[in-house]
Amino acid sequence: MRRLLLVCGIALTLSAQYQNNSKPTWIEPRSGETLPEFDAFDDVNGTLGVLNASGPMSTEGHPFFTPLGTNGRACVNCHQPAYGMSVSAVGLNERWRLTDGKDPVFAAFDGSNCPGLPQDQRSSHSLLLNRGLFRIPLSWPPKNADGSPKKVEFTIEVVRDPTGCNTSKDYGLKSADPTVSVYRRPRPTANLKYVVSGGRSIVLKTGMLADVDPETGNPVAMNLMTDAREPSLKTQALSAIMGHEQARVPPSPKQIEKIVEYESQVYVAQAAHIFGGPLVGPGSPAGLGVAALRDHRAGVLGDNDYDQVFGLFKEWKGNDYYRASVARGADIFMFRQFWLRDATHINSIGLGNPLKRTCATCHNSQMTGQDLSAGWVDVGTTNYPTWTEPGSLESSELPVFKITCARDADPHPYLGRVIYTTDPGRALISGRCSDVGSIVMQQLRGLAARAPYFANGSAKTLREAVDFYDRRFDMKLTDEEKEDLVNFLGAL
Amino acid sequence: MRRVWFFGLFMTVALAQQRNFVSCPIVRDTKTVPCFLAEYDGELYYLGIQQDITSEFHPPQLKHEVLVEGRIAAGPRICGGIPLQPVSISVVKEVNLACNTLLPAEPGIDAPPAPRGAGPSSRRVEGPSGPREPLTGQHEFTVLYAFNDDYLEFAANGVVSEAAAYAKRIGAKNVKVAGYRATSVLSNGNSLVEKAGLAEKRAQNIATLLGGLGVSNVAVESKAEAEAGDGQTDPSRRRVTILITP
Repeated sequence: MRRLLLVCGIALTLSAQYQNNSKPTWIEPRSGETLPEFDAFDDVNGTLGVLNASGPMSTEGHPFFTPLGTNGRACVNCHQPAYGMSVSAVGLNERWRLTDGKDPVFAAFDGSNCPGLPQDQRSSHSLLLNRGLFRIPLSWPPKNADGSPKKVEFTIEVVRDPTGCNTSKDYGLKSADPTVSVYRRPRPTANLKYVVSGGRSIVLKTGMLADVDPETGNPVAMNLMTDAREPSLKTQALSAIMGHEQARVPPSPKQIEKIVEYESQVYVAQAAHIFGGPLVGPGSPAGLGVAALRDHRAGVLGDNDYDQVFGLFKEWKGNDYYRASVARGADIFMFRQFWLRDATHINSIGLGNPLKRTCATCHNSQMTGQDLSAGWVDVGTTNYPTWTEPGSLESSELPVFKITCARDADPHPYLGRVIYTTDPGRALISGRCSDVGSIVMQQLRGLAARAPYFANGSAKTLREAVDFYDRRFDMKLTDEEKEDLVNFLGAL
Repeated sequence: MRRVWFFGLFMTVALAQQRNFVSCPIVRDTKTVPCFLAEYDGELYYLGIQQDITSEFHPPQLKHEVLVEGRIAAGPRICGGIPLQPVSISVVKEVNLACNTLLPAEPGIDAPPAPRGAGPSSRRVEGPSGPREPLTGQHEFTVLYAFNDDYLEFAANGVVSEAAAYAKRIGAKNVKVAGYRATSVLSNGNSLVEKAGLAEKRAQNIATLLGGLGVSNVAVESKAEAEAGDGQTDPSRRRVTILITP
């Protein structure tokens, strides 16, 4: 009995340490606050842990926390520690309420459905408020490094334009500066040593040269962005400042360096569960929590049964209801076989279609569950008919494009030469028909703090994300298996 | 005269054992990994099992026809099919929704032992095997392709990397890349010819890769006409050669 009381006491103390309901969670640019080494924020599952591995850090004058452009935004507007270094739809709605839509995160350029819309109306920001999506305007056709137009293998037409942006005479595909607008979630700027590791000279999925870091000349992992368009953290930061912050003057090399230095030492992971208490500490799986992310080696393949993607969860088997469920979820992730079918850059690269495997086949990189090789894959979230949009082409909240592949190009491996899509993904950068709908997979850490999910924000909850996979691959998961997977993902 | 007769007999026997055809693949589930099969002329042939990206056999794909070029191997049926070994698999690029047969596992139909099962891998990553005799002098590397394809499979990827490493190590004076396209003779007497321009595209791609891997002075050539087929060794002619001269 005494031992039970002691354990409960420790759990309560640790829980209290991770709960801090009173402090503001949204960091405004130029707020000047000092970030502690370890911080904790409430999320839907309990508590998110945020670790600044370099120790406490003043944000005063720091370029990540200072607007460098013309619209009042800084990096932090879209990469908030409280939301896993991304932003959640819940957080954005709260921000709208508190600022009456005046926060720079709602900037007309990309924080609204289209800059030409009346900016004081919620409906003009519906994709950001409902799905956490920012507008990503991409030049069409894509350009080579020297600015010349890239050869593309397909034509693109707008067949549905609920935001008005793709048919706009000012911002659309037929404007003076032809642009395709797609809508995507911001990726977490955390745990980045894992995201940027694993670069190989030749991309396994295409048999072509990987992009190189312009500074070092070394091949990069191409796992940083939804469409892998930026090779390095530095080029990403520069592009984000010139685009999302609408800067007229590029930031200085020193500013870029400071941004990358900050991003490279932030780790986020779930720290505690609302009922289960702390997820880290003695008797907990070694892969959980921010310290594990800080300490683990990057670039390690985890699709094996001896050194798994998120470590072993055997300590929690037969434990309390929640922990046992998480451990079962980890087993489902690693071992539950199903038919992976019609997924470009998985089935099409020599593995066969269908492929009888598990979640960890694709989500194979230790500690984050990204793909260790350049990770763009078409699992069907954006392409009709498997896409995440409810109902027909006409009911999509997102723009719908018709892609028609040239006769001499390789078609999309499973959809052929005419494809309807809400986001052509990698194809908007590569110009390749076979890349239509391929999206770089995301890391699976700090998920509970940053709903909604998928690059198009279509899954409001982890359960909806699991339901998509269950439908898409006919996994035949039971309700208990789905709950276990949700608990497992929410503990990461 | 006798030599010619023997050669003719050999060819006749060899061709009798050869099966070159285009058809829909059939996937047969088992309690371990799936088997990949294909039907031709009323007979079922076993092509291979699901493995991983590093394996020699890359399975075909449902939703696509497959060009099978293989030789009947001795031994019992596997997964219900006559085994073809060696076998070359080329996925036809255009989608064919009729190719959609996935058979359930059945008692008594087992896949051969697989180096990797359907779950996560159990194999430990091995270090490099014993020291290899270092290459010296002029050396030709050959990159092979599936029919009508310029995608560099995993193994071919390794050949290019090895060629680049060799060229850089010896400071090659000449690196000559030559691309080819070929003809496949089918068992029904028809021929399939790889598309025009493919030889050049293959060669250019390899030259670009070598350049990106730090090899300079790469000369590129390609043979515009498709090489003739013989119905037995056709997969070996879908290639790019990299001739490296010190």
